[in-house]
Amino acid sequence: MTVLEVSGLAKRYGRVRALRGVSFTVEPGEVFGYLGPNGAGKTTTLRVITGLVRADAGAVRLLGDGSRGAQARERVGYLPGEMHLYGAMTARSLLDHFARYRPHRPPVLRERLLAALDLRESELARKVKWLSHGTRQKVGLVIAMQHDPDLLLLDEPTTGLDPLVQHGFRNLVRELAARGRAVLFSSHVLSEVEAVCGRVGVLRSGELLAVESIETLRARLVRRLDVRFLGAAPAGLSTVPGVTRAEVAGGQATLWLKGDVNPLLAQLAQCPVEHLVFPEPQLEDVFLDLYRQSGTS
Amino acid sequence: MNGNLLRLLVTRHAAFVAASAVLLAGFQFLICAAVASVDVAGALSTLVQSVPPLFQSFVSSQLFGGFSKSGLLAFGWAHPIAQALGAALAITLGTQAVAGEAEAGTIEFTLSQPLSRRAYLGAHVTFALASLTALTLAGIAGTVIGQRTYGLEPFAAGRLLRFGVDYLLFQAAWFSLAFFLSTWGREAGRVALLAFLLAIVSYLIHVIGSMWEAWRPLVPWTLHAYFKPQEILVQGAGIARPAVVLLGVVAVSLAGAWLRFRGRDLP
Repeated sequence: MTVLEVSGLAKRYGRVRALRGVSFTVEPGEVFGYLGPNGAGKTTTLRVITGLVRADAGAVRLLGDGSRGAQARERVGYLPGEMHLYGAMTARSLLDHFARYRPHRPPVLRERLLAALDLRESELARKVKWLSHGTRQKVGLVIAMQHDPDLLLLDEPTTGLDPLVQHGFRNLVRELAARGRAVLFSSHVLSEVEAVCGRVGVLRSGELLAVESIETLRARLVRRLDVRFLGAAPAGLSTVPGVTRAEVAGGQATLWLKGDVNPLLAQLAQCPVEHLVFPEPQLEDVFLDLYRQSGTS
Repeated sequence: MNGNLLRLLVTRHAAFVAASAVLLAGFQFLICAAVASVDVAGALSTLVQSVPPLFQSFVSSQLFGGFSKSGLLAFGWAHPIAQALGAALAITLGTQAVAGEAEAGTIEFTLSQPLSRRAYLGAHVTFALASLTALTLAGIAGTVIGQRTYGLEPFAAGRLLRFGVDYLLFQAAWFSLAFFLSTWGREAGRVALLAFLLAIVSYLIHVIGSMWEAWRPLVPWTLHAYFKPQEILVQGAGIARPAVVLLGVVAVSLAGAWLRFRGRDLP
Protein backbone atom coordinates (compact mmCIF):
# COMPACT_ATOMS: atom_id res chain seq x y z
CA MET A 1 0.00 0.00 0.00
CA THR A 2 1.27 3.48 -0.86
CA VAL A 3 1.84 5.25 2.44
CA LEU A 4 1.43 8.78 1.14
CA GLU A 5 -0.23 9.84 -2.06
CA VAL A 6 -0.33 13.51 -2.95
CA SER A 7 -2.11 14.45 -6.16
CA GLY A 8 -2.61 17.81 -7.80
CA LEU A 9 -2.18 19.93 -4.68
CA ALA A 10 -2.74 23.63 -5.22
CA LYS A 11 -2.75 26.39 -2.66
CA ARG A 12 -2.87 30.16 -2.86
CA TYR A 13 -2.14 32.70 -0.14
CA GLY A 14 -3.71 35.81 -1.60
CA ARG A 15 -1.83 36.49 -4.83
CA VAL A 16 0.96 34.07 -4.00
CA ARG A 17 0.63 30.62 -5.53
CA ALA A 18 2.27 28.49 -2.84
CA LEU A 19 1.59 25.15 -4.56
CA ARG A 20 0.78 24.43 -8.21
CA GLY A 21 -0.45 20.94 -8.92
CA VAL A 22 2.04 19.06 -6.77
CA SER A 23 1.85 15.26 -7.06
CA PHE A 24 4.07 12.52 -5.66
CA THR A 25 3.91 9.29 -3.67
CA VAL A 26 5.95 7.82 -0.85
CA GLU A 27 6.16 4.05 -0.55
CA PRO A 28 6.87 1.86 2.48
CA GLY A 29 10.58 1.64 3.26
CA GLU A 30 11.37 4.76 1.27
CA VAL A 31 13.07 7.98 2.30
CA PHE A 32 11.69 10.56 -0.11
CA GLY A 33 13.62 13.80 -0.28
CA TYR A 34 11.59 16.97 -0.74
CA LEU A 35 14.10 19.46 -1.96
CA GLY A 36 13.68 23.14 -2.58
CA PRO A 37 14.91 26.56 -1.52
CA ASN A 38 13.23 28.50 1.27
CA GLY A 39 9.78 29.65 0.20
CA ALA A 40 9.41 26.93 -2.44
CA GLY A 41 6.31 25.47 -0.77
CA LYS A 42 7.82 22.57 1.20
CA THR A 43 6.31 23.59 4.53
CA THR A 44 2.93 24.31 2.95
CA THR A 45 2.92 20.82 1.44
CA LEU A 46 3.67 19.23 4.81
CA ARG A 47 1.00 21.33 6.50
CA VAL A 48 -1.55 20.25 3.91
CA ILE A 49 -0.59 16.61 4.50
CA THR A 50 -1.06 16.97 8.27
CA GLY A 51 -4.37 18.79 7.81
CA LEU A 52 -3.16 22.10 9.24
CA VAL A 53 -3.68 23.88 5.93
CA ARG A 54 -6.56 23.27 3.53
CA ALA A 55 -5.58 22.89 -0.11
CA ASP A 56 -7.54 24.79 -2.76
CA ALA A 57 -7.37 21.76 -5.04
CA GLY A 58 -5.96 18.26 -5.05
CA ALA A 59 -6.04 15.37 -2.64
CA VAL A 60 -3.91 13.65 -0.03
CA ARG A 61 -4.24 10.00 0.92
CA LEU A 62 -2.48 9.19 4.16
CA LEU A 63 -2.01 5.48 4.90
CA GLY A 64 -4.96 4.76 2.67
CA ASP A 65 -7.16 7.30 4.43
CA GLY A 66 -8.38 10.23 2.35
CA SER A 67 -9.78 12.06 5.38
CA ARG A 68 -6.41 12.51 7.11
CA GLY A 69 -8.38 12.36 10.35
CA ALA A 70 -7.11 11.84 13.88
CA GLN A 71 -7.08 8.07 13.38
CA ALA A 72 -4.68 8.30 10.45
CA ARG A 73 -2.46 10.80 12.27
CA GLU A 74 -2.01 8.27 15.09
CA ARG A 75 0.41 6.48 12.73
CA VAL A 76 2.19 9.60 11.55
CA GLY A 77 5.08 11.52 13.09
CA TYR A 78 5.63 15.18 12.19
CA LEU A 79 8.43 17.58 12.92
CA PRO A 80 7.47 21.15 11.97
CA GLY A 81 10.05 23.37 10.35
CA GLU A 82 9.41 26.15 12.84
CA MET A 83 9.09 24.14 15.97
CA HIS A 84 7.67 25.74 19.11
CA LEU A 85 7.15 23.81 22.31
CA TYR A 86 5.51 24.64 25.62
CA GLY A 87 8.42 26.40 27.31
CA ALA A 88 7.23 26.02 30.90
CA MET A 89 7.22 22.22 30.75
CA THR A 90 10.27 20.03 31.24
CA ALA A 91 11.48 18.12 28.20
CA ARG A 92 10.58 14.83 29.88
CA SER A 93 7.00 15.89 30.70
CA LEU A 94 6.63 17.16 27.14
CA LEU A 95 7.66 13.77 25.72
CA ASP A 96 5.12 12.12 28.03
CA HIS A 97 2.44 14.62 27.08
CA PHE A 98 2.78 13.98 23.35
CA ALA A 99 3.05 10.22 23.89
CA ARG A 100 -0.35 10.25 25.63
CA TYR A 101 -2.03 11.44 22.42
CA ARG A 102 -1.37 7.94 21.05
CA PRO A 103 -2.60 5.42 23.61
CA HIS A 104 -2.33 2.62 21.03
CA ARG A 105 1.21 3.53 19.91
CA PRO A 106 3.48 3.54 22.98
CA PRO A 107 6.81 5.40 22.75
CA VAL A 108 8.81 2.26 21.99
CA LEU A 109 11.66 4.12 20.31
CA ARG A 110 12.17 6.78 22.95
CA GLU A 111 15.19 5.36 24.74
CA ARG A 112 16.88 4.48 21.46
CA LEU A 113 16.31 8.03 20.18
CA LEU A 114 17.54 9.65 23.38
CA ALA A 115 20.77 7.69 23.11
CA ALA A 116 21.26 8.34 19.39
CA LEU A 117 20.59 12.05 19.72
CA ASP A 118 22.69 12.32 22.86
CA LEU A 119 19.88 13.75 25.00
CA ARG A 120 20.91 13.40 28.62
CA GLU A 121 18.71 13.03 31.70
CA SER A 122 19.89 16.41 33.00
CA GLU A 123 18.58 18.05 29.81
CA LEU A 124 15.28 16.19 30.00
CA ALA A 125 14.77 17.48 33.54
CA ARG A 126 15.07 21.13 32.47
CA LYS A 127 12.27 23.37 31.32
CA VAL A 128 12.13 23.60 27.54
CA LYS A 129 12.54 27.39 27.58
CA TRP A 130 16.00 26.96 29.13
CA LEU A 131 17.21 24.50 26.48
CA SER A 132 19.38 25.51 23.53
CA HIS A 133 17.89 25.60 20.03
CA GLY A 134 19.67 22.40 19.08
CA THR A 135 18.47 20.54 22.16
CA ARG A 136 14.90 21.69 21.53
CA GLN A 137 15.24 20.35 18.00
CA LYS A 138 16.31 17.00 19.42
CA VAL A 139 13.29 16.96 21.74
CA GLY A 140 11.09 17.67 18.72
CA LEU A 141 12.65 14.78 16.82
CA VAL A 142 12.00 12.41 19.72
CA ILE A 143 8.37 13.57 19.89
CA ALA A 144 7.97 12.97 16.15
CA MET A 145 9.60 9.54 16.14
CA GLN A 146 9.14 7.97 19.58
CA HIS A 147 5.97 6.05 18.63
CA ASP A 148 7.67 4.39 15.65
CA PRO A 149 5.41 6.04 13.04
CA ASP A 150 4.48 4.36 9.77
CA LEU A 151 4.99 7.71 8.05
CA LEU A 152 7.47 10.29 9.27
CA LEU A 153 7.20 13.87 7.99
CA LEU A 154 10.33 15.91 8.64
CA ASP A 155 10.59 19.59 7.79
CA GLU A 156 14.24 20.72 7.83
CA PRO A 157 14.99 18.24 10.62
CA THR A 158 18.72 18.85 11.07
CA THR A 159 18.47 22.59 11.71
CA GLY A 160 20.55 23.39 14.77
CA LEU A 161 22.01 19.90 15.16
CA ASP A 162 25.78 19.55 15.35
CA PRO A 163 27.46 17.40 12.64
CA LEU A 164 27.95 14.36 14.88
CA VAL A 165 24.30 14.32 15.92
CA GLN A 166 23.26 14.90 12.31
CA HIS A 167 25.17 11.77 11.38
CA GLY A 168 23.45 9.75 14.14
CA PHE A 169 20.09 11.12 13.09
CA ARG A 170 20.58 10.11 9.45
CA ASN A 171 21.40 6.60 10.61
CA LEU A 172 18.16 6.56 12.57
CA VAL A 173 16.20 7.59 9.48
CA ARG A 174 17.86 4.85 7.45
CA GLU A 175 17.04 2.33 10.18
CA LEU A 176 13.39 3.38 10.15
CA ALA A 177 13.25 2.96 6.38
CA ALA A 178 14.96 -0.42 6.60
CA ARG A 179 12.12 -1.55 8.86
CA GLY A 180 9.55 -0.53 6.24
CA ARG A 181 8.67 2.93 7.54
CA ALA A 182 8.17 5.73 5.03
CA VAL A 183 9.88 9.08 5.47
CA LEU A 184 9.24 12.40 3.76
CA PHE A 185 12.42 14.39 4.29
CA SER A 186 12.10 18.07 3.45
CA SER A 187 15.28 20.10 3.14
CA HIS A 188 17.01 22.86 1.24
CA VAL A 189 20.41 21.21 1.69
CA LEU A 190 21.28 19.08 -1.32
CA SER A 191 24.06 17.09 0.35
CA GLU A 192 21.78 16.13 3.21
CA VAL A 193 19.10 14.81 0.87
CA GLU A 194 21.77 13.04 -1.18
CA ALA A 195 23.06 11.30 1.92
CA VAL A 196 19.82 9.82 3.14
CA CYS A 197 17.16 9.73 0.40
CA GLY A 198 16.45 7.24 -2.33
CA ARG A 199 14.16 9.42 -4.42
CA VAL A 200 13.84 13.16 -4.58
CA GLY A 201 11.16 15.64 -5.53
CA VAL A 202 12.57 19.01 -6.56
CA LEU A 203 10.29 21.92 -5.78
CA ARG A 204 10.59 25.50 -6.88
CA SER A 205 8.03 28.31 -6.53
CA GLY A 206 5.33 25.83 -5.64
CA GLU A 207 5.96 23.65 -8.67
CA LEU A 208 7.41 20.17 -8.59
CA LEU A 209 10.07 20.31 -11.31
CA ALA A 210 11.06 16.65 -11.14
CA VAL A 211 10.67 13.46 -9.12
CA GLU A 212 13.58 11.13 -9.69
CA SER A 213 16.06 8.78 -8.06
CA ILE A 214 19.05 10.21 -6.28
CA GLU A 215 21.33 8.60 -8.89
CA THR A 216 19.55 10.44 -11.70
CA LEU A 217 19.77 13.66 -9.75
CA ARG A 218 23.50 13.14 -9.20
CA ALA A 219 23.97 12.52 -12.91
CA ARG A 220 22.25 15.81 -13.67
CA LEU A 221 24.48 17.83 -11.43
CA VAL A 222 26.96 20.12 -13.07
CA ARG A 223 29.66 20.42 -10.44
CA ARG A 224 32.50 22.87 -10.33
CA LEU A 225 36.11 21.88 -9.78
CA ASP A 226 38.97 24.32 -9.11
CA VAL A 227 42.50 23.05 -9.80
CA ARG A 228 45.86 24.78 -9.39
CA PHE A 229 48.74 23.03 -11.17
CA LEU A 230 52.40 23.14 -10.27
CA GLY A 231 53.09 24.58 -13.70
CA ALA A 232 50.95 25.42 -16.69
CA ALA A 233 47.59 23.69 -16.96
CA PRO A 234 47.61 20.79 -19.43
CA ALA A 235 45.90 21.27 -22.76
CA GLY A 236 42.68 19.50 -23.71
CA LEU A 237 40.93 19.65 -20.36
CA SER A 238 37.70 20.71 -22.03
CA THR A 239 37.66 17.54 -24.11
CA VAL A 240 37.79 15.14 -21.15
CA PRO A 241 34.53 13.12 -21.00
CA GLY A 242 32.09 14.75 -18.58
CA VAL A 243 33.68 18.20 -18.67
CA THR A 244 31.13 20.62 -20.04
CA ARG A 245 33.16 23.79 -19.72
CA ALA A 246 36.71 24.77 -18.82
CA GLU A 247 38.30 28.11 -17.97
CA VAL A 248 42.08 28.02 -17.90
CA ALA A 249 44.41 30.84 -16.91
CA GLY A 250 48.07 29.90 -16.49
CA GLY A 251 48.29 27.20 -13.83
CA GLN A 252 44.72 27.75 -12.66
CA ALA A 253 41.74 25.89 -14.14
CA THR A 254 38.07 25.95 -13.31
CA LEU A 255 36.14 23.01 -14.73
CA TRP A 256 32.42 22.21 -14.85
CA LEU A 257 31.71 18.51 -14.72
CA LYS A 258 28.57 16.46 -15.29
CA GLY A 259 28.24 12.77 -14.49
CA ASP A 260 31.18 10.47 -13.81
CA VAL A 261 34.18 12.17 -12.22
CA ASN A 262 36.68 9.34 -12.90
CA PRO A 263 37.85 10.27 -16.43
CA LEU A 264 38.78 13.74 -15.23
CA LEU A 265 40.55 12.40 -12.14
CA ALA A 266 42.51 10.04 -14.35
CA GLN A 267 43.56 12.99 -16.52
CA LEU A 268 44.52 15.09 -13.52
CA ALA A 269 46.56 12.25 -12.02
CA GLN A 270 48.98 12.63 -14.92
CA CYS A 271 49.83 16.23 -14.02
CA PRO A 272 51.44 17.68 -10.87
CA VAL A 273 48.53 19.26 -9.00
CA GLU A 274 49.25 21.76 -6.23
CA HIS A 275 45.72 22.33 -4.98
CA LEU A 276 42.27 20.94 -5.77
CA VAL A 277 38.87 22.13 -4.53
CA PHE A 278 35.67 20.25 -5.30
CA PRO A 279 32.98 22.41 -3.65
CA GLU A 280 29.75 21.07 -2.23
CA PRO A 281 27.15 20.94 -5.03
CA GLN A 282 24.52 23.61 -4.64
CA LEU A 283 20.79 23.39 -5.06
CA GLU A 284 20.94 26.04 -7.76
CA ASP A 285 23.07 23.68 -9.87
CA VAL A 286 20.18 21.22 -9.90
CA PHE A 287 17.69 23.88 -10.83
CA LEU A 288 19.83 25.23 -13.66
CA ASP A 289 19.92 21.83 -15.26
CA LEU A 290 16.21 21.22 -14.74
CA TYR A 291 15.39 24.61 -16.23
CA ARG A 292 17.54 23.95 -19.24
CA GLN A 293 15.77 20.65 -19.73
CA SER A 294 12.29 22.10 -19.40
CA GLY A 295 13.16 25.17 -21.47
CA THR A 296 12.18 27.64 -18.77
CA SER A 297 14.31 30.23 -17.03
CA MET B 1 -12.85 16.81 24.11
CA ASN B 2 -9.43 15.35 24.81
CA GLY B 3 -8.37 14.46 28.38
CA ASN B 4 -4.68 14.85 27.60
CA LEU B 5 -5.13 18.39 26.30
CA LEU B 6 -7.40 19.20 29.23
CA ARG B 7 -4.67 18.05 31.60
CA LEU B 8 -2.18 20.30 29.80
CA LEU B 9 -4.51 23.28 30.14
CA VAL B 10 -4.91 22.65 33.85
CA THR B 11 -1.13 22.48 34.26
CA ARG B 12 -0.55 25.65 32.27
CA HIS B 13 -3.35 27.85 33.62
CA ALA B 14 -4.04 26.52 37.13
CA ALA B 15 -2.01 29.24 38.86
CA PHE B 16 -3.77 32.03 36.94
CA VAL B 17 -7.22 30.59 37.61
CA ALA B 18 -6.43 30.06 41.31
CA ALA B 19 -5.02 33.58 41.68
CA SER B 20 -8.12 35.10 40.02
CA ALA B 21 -10.42 33.08 42.28
CA VAL B 22 -8.55 33.99 45.45
CA LEU B 23 -8.51 37.67 44.50
CA LEU B 24 -12.24 37.74 43.76
CA ALA B 25 -13.03 35.89 47.00
CA GLY B 26 -10.75 38.24 48.93
CA PHE B 27 -12.33 41.28 47.32
CA GLN B 28 -15.87 40.16 48.19
CA PHE B 29 -14.74 39.41 51.73
CA LEU B 30 -13.25 42.91 51.99
CA ILE B 31 -16.50 44.44 50.75
CA CYS B 32 -18.28 42.67 53.62
CA ALA B 33 -15.68 43.98 56.04
CA ALA B 34 -16.07 47.53 54.73
CA VAL B 35 -19.87 47.44 54.84
CA ALA B 36 -19.85 46.07 58.41
CA SER B 37 -17.08 48.27 59.78
CA VAL B 38 -17.94 51.79 58.71
CA ASP B 39 -21.08 53.62 57.76
CA VAL B 40 -20.41 53.28 54.04
CA ALA B 41 -24.09 53.73 53.23
CA GLY B 42 -24.24 57.05 55.13
CA ALA B 43 -21.03 58.28 53.59
CA LEU B 44 -22.14 57.41 50.07
CA SER B 45 -25.56 58.90 50.66
CA THR B 46 -23.93 62.20 51.65
CA LEU B 47 -21.58 62.01 48.71
CA VAL B 48 -24.40 61.41 46.26
CA GLN B 49 -26.11 64.64 47.37
CA SER B 50 -23.24 66.53 45.76
CA VAL B 51 -23.56 64.94 42.31
CA PRO B 52 -25.95 66.21 39.62
CA PRO B 53 -29.56 64.95 39.94
CA LEU B 54 -29.17 63.04 36.68
CA PHE B 55 -26.65 60.73 38.35
CA GLN B 56 -28.28 60.54 41.78
CA SER B 57 -30.99 58.05 40.94
CA PHE B 58 -28.60 55.87 38.91
CA VAL B 59 -25.98 55.76 41.65
CA SER B 60 -28.38 55.12 44.50
CA SER B 61 -30.72 52.61 42.85
CA GLN B 62 -28.69 50.95 40.09
CA LEU B 63 -25.33 50.73 41.83
CA PHE B 64 -25.98 50.62 45.53
CA GLY B 65 -29.51 49.24 45.86
CA GLY B 66 -30.79 52.28 47.70
CA PHE B 67 -27.76 52.26 50.05
CA SER B 68 -28.95 49.22 51.99
CA LYS B 69 -26.23 46.91 53.31
CA SER B 70 -27.29 44.13 50.96
CA GLY B 71 -27.31 46.67 48.12
CA LEU B 72 -23.74 47.63 48.92
CA LEU B 73 -22.72 43.97 49.05
CA ALA B 74 -24.34 43.44 45.65
CA PHE B 75 -22.39 46.44 44.40
CA GLY B 76 -19.27 44.48 45.29
CA TRP B 77 -20.09 42.30 42.30
CA ALA B 78 -20.69 45.22 39.93
CA HIS B 79 -17.55 47.00 41.14
CA PRO B 80 -14.95 47.59 38.38
CA ILE B 81 -12.40 45.46 40.24
CA ALA B 82 -14.75 42.46 40.35
CA GLN B 83 -15.71 43.05 36.73
CA ALA B 84 -12.08 43.31 35.67
CA LEU B 85 -11.10 40.10 37.49
CA GLY B 86 -13.85 38.10 35.79
CA ALA B 87 -13.26 39.65 32.37
CA ALA B 88 -9.49 39.16 32.64
CA LEU B 89 -9.89 35.44 33.20
CA ALA B 90 -12.65 34.95 30.63
CA ILE B 91 -10.99 37.00 27.90
CA THR B 92 -7.51 35.62 28.53
CA LEU B 93 -8.68 32.02 28.26
CA GLY B 94 -10.64 32.78 25.11
CA THR B 95 -7.77 34.69 23.54
CA GLN B 96 -5.13 32.11 24.35
CA ALA B 97 -7.13 29.17 23.00
CA VAL B 98 -6.36 29.80 19.33
CA ALA B 99 -4.70 33.17 18.69
CA GLY B 100 -2.33 32.74 21.65
CA GLU B 101 -1.35 29.23 20.61
CA ALA B 102 -0.98 30.32 16.97
CA GLU B 103 1.22 33.25 17.99
CA ALA B 104 3.37 31.01 20.19
CA GLY B 105 3.53 28.43 17.38
CA THR B 106 2.51 25.58 19.67
CA ILE B 107 -0.78 24.91 17.89
CA GLU B 108 1.06 23.38 14.90
CA PHE B 109 2.65 20.59 16.90
CA THR B 110 -0.52 20.00 18.92
CA LEU B 111 -2.91 19.77 15.97
CA SER B 112 -0.58 17.52 14.01
CA GLN B 113 -1.19 14.92 16.72
CA PRO B 114 -4.15 12.53 16.52
CA LEU B 115 -6.41 15.23 17.88
CA SER B 116 -9.41 16.55 15.96
CA ARG B 117 -10.15 20.25 15.83
CA ARG B 118 -13.49 19.53 17.48
CA ALA B 119 -11.70 17.85 20.40
CA TYR B 120 -9.25 20.76 20.59
CA LEU B 121 -12.03 23.33 20.88
CA GLY B 122 -13.99 21.06 23.23
CA ALA B 123 -11.09 20.84 25.66
CA HIS B 124 -10.59 24.62 25.67
CA VAL B 125 -14.30 25.33 26.20
CA THR B 126 -14.59 22.72 28.95
CA PHE B 127 -11.55 24.08 30.75
CA ALA B 128 -12.74 27.68 30.48
CA LEU B 129 -16.23 26.89 31.77
CA ALA B 130 -14.76 24.90 34.67
CA SER B 131 -12.40 27.78 35.48
CA LEU B 132 -15.19 30.36 35.38
CA THR B 133 -17.33 28.14 37.61
CA ALA B 134 -14.47 27.95 40.09
CA LEU B 135 -14.13 31.74 39.96
CA THR B 136 -17.86 32.20 40.56
CA LEU B 137 -17.91 29.77 43.49
CA ALA B 138 -14.85 31.39 45.05
CA GLY B 139 -16.40 34.86 44.81
CA ILE B 140 -19.68 33.68 46.31
CA ALA B 141 -17.72 31.91 49.07
CA GLY B 142 -16.00 35.23 49.79
CA THR B 143 -19.37 36.96 50.15
CA VAL B 144 -20.87 34.18 52.31
CA ILE B 145 -17.85 33.90 54.61
CA GLY B 146 -17.65 37.69 54.88
CA GLN B 147 -21.32 37.98 55.80
CA ARG B 148 -20.92 35.34 58.52
CA THR B 149 -17.66 36.76 59.83
CA TYR B 150 -19.04 40.29 60.16
CA GLY B 151 -22.57 39.37 61.24
CA LEU B 152 -24.25 40.72 58.09
CA GLU B 153 -27.62 39.38 57.03
CA PRO B 154 -26.92 36.56 54.55
CA PHE B 155 -28.44 36.44 51.09
CA ALA B 156 -31.07 33.77 50.61
CA ALA B 157 -29.64 30.59 49.08
CA GLY B 158 -31.98 30.80 46.06
CA ARG B 159 -30.88 34.35 45.29
CA LEU B 160 -27.22 33.39 45.59
CA LEU B 161 -27.75 30.43 43.31
CA ARG B 162 -29.53 32.52 40.67
CA PHE B 163 -26.91 35.20 40.93
CA GLY B 164 -24.13 32.62 40.58
CA VAL B 165 -25.70 31.35 37.36
CA ASP B 166 -26.07 34.91 36.07
CA TYR B 167 -22.45 35.77 36.86
CA LEU B 168 -21.18 32.54 35.34
CA LEU B 169 -23.18 33.05 32.13
CA PHE B 170 -22.06 36.67 31.95
CA GLN B 171 -18.40 35.66 32.11
CA ALA B 172 -19.01 32.69 29.80
CA ALA B 173 -20.42 35.14 27.25
CA TRP B 174 -17.23 37.22 27.40
CA PHE B 175 -15.15 34.08 27.07
CA SER B 176 -17.17 32.96 24.04
CA LEU B 177 -16.86 36.32 22.32
CA ALA B 178 -13.09 36.39 22.95
CA PHE B 179 -12.91 32.79 21.76
CA PHE B 180 -14.74 33.68 18.54
CA LEU B 181 -12.35 36.58 17.92
CA SER B 182 -9.45 34.28 18.76
CA THR B 183 -10.36 31.89 15.94
CA TRP B 184 -9.81 34.76 13.48
CA GLY B 185 -6.57 36.06 14.94
CA ARG B 186 -2.90 35.18 15.04
CA GLU B 187 -1.83 37.64 17.73
CA ALA B 188 -3.18 37.23 21.25
CA GLY B 189 -2.54 40.87 22.16
CA ARG B 190 -4.74 42.26 19.39
CA VAL B 191 -7.55 39.81 20.11
CA ALA B 192 -7.45 40.57 23.84
CA LEU B 193 -7.42 44.31 23.17
CA LEU B 194 -10.46 44.04 20.92
CA ALA B 195 -12.33 41.89 23.46
CA PHE B 196 -11.53 44.29 26.31
CA LEU B 197 -12.64 47.24 24.18
CA LEU B 198 -15.94 45.46 23.58
CA ALA B 199 -16.31 44.92 27.35
CA ILE B 200 -15.55 48.57 28.11
CA VAL B 201 -17.94 49.84 25.43
CA SER B 202 -20.64 47.50 26.73
CA TYR B 203 -20.11 48.81 30.26
CA LEU B 204 -20.12 52.48 29.22
CA ILE B 205 -23.25 52.16 27.08
CA HIS B 206 -24.96 50.39 29.96
CA VAL B 207 -24.01 53.11 32.44
CA ILE B 208 -24.82 56.03 30.14
CA GLY B 209 -28.04 54.41 28.96
CA SER B 210 -29.13 53.94 32.57
CA MET B 211 -28.84 57.68 33.14
CA TRP B 212 -29.68 59.20 29.78
CA GLU B 213 -32.93 58.55 28.00
CA ALA B 214 -31.50 59.00 24.50
CA TRP B 215 -29.12 56.06 24.97
CA ARG B 216 -31.63 53.78 26.69
CA PRO B 217 -32.58 51.86 23.50
CA LEU B 218 -28.95 50.78 23.22
CA VAL B 219 -28.81 49.20 26.66
CA PRO B 220 -30.43 45.85 25.71
CA TRP B 221 -27.66 45.43 23.13
CA THR B 222 -24.98 45.35 25.82
CA LEU B 223 -23.99 42.23 27.75
CA HIS B 224 -23.93 44.28 30.96
CA ALA B 225 -27.70 44.73 30.69
CA TYR B 226 -28.04 41.03 31.55
CA PHE B 227 -25.74 41.02 34.55
CA LYS B 228 -28.02 42.01 37.42
CA PRO B 229 -26.50 41.70 40.91
CA GLN B 230 -28.79 44.36 42.43
CA GLU B 231 -31.99 42.96 40.96
CA ILE B 232 -31.21 39.35 41.85
CA LEU B 233 -29.48 39.66 45.23
CA VAL B 234 -31.45 42.63 46.63
CA GLN B 235 -34.84 42.42 44.96
CA GLY B 236 -34.93 38.66 44.37
CA ALA B 237 -35.55 38.96 40.63
CA GLY B 238 -35.55 35.89 38.37
CA ILE B 239 -32.92 35.24 35.75
CA ALA B 240 -34.92 33.66 32.94
CA ARG B 241 -34.48 36.48 30.44
CA PRO B 242 -30.81 37.27 31.22
CA ALA B 243 -30.02 33.56 31.16
CA VAL B 244 -31.68 33.05 27.76
CA VAL B 245 -29.90 36.04 26.25
CA LEU B 246 -26.49 35.18 27.71
CA LEU B 247 -26.84 31.52 26.75
CA GLY B 248 -27.76 32.66 23.26
CA VAL B 249 -24.63 34.78 23.04
CA VAL B 250 -22.54 31.83 24.25
CA ALA B 251 -24.14 29.43 21.76
CA VAL B 252 -23.89 31.76 18.76
CA SER B 253 -20.29 32.76 19.55
CA LEU B 254 -19.15 29.17 20.02
CA ALA B 255 -20.94 28.07 16.85
CA GLY B 256 -19.27 30.91 14.94
CA ALA B 257 -15.91 29.98 16.46
CA TRP B 258 -16.34 26.38 15.34
CA LEU B 259 -17.36 27.34 11.80
CA ARG B 260 -14.30 29.52 11.48
CA PHE B 261 -11.84 27.20 13.20
CA ARG B 262 -12.73 24.00 11.38
CA GLY B 263 -11.73 25.48 8.02
CA ARG B 264 -8.94 27.75 9.09
CA ASP B 265 -5.34 27.39 7.91
CA LEU B 266 -2.97 27.02 10.85
CA PRO B 267 -0.85 28.31 12.44
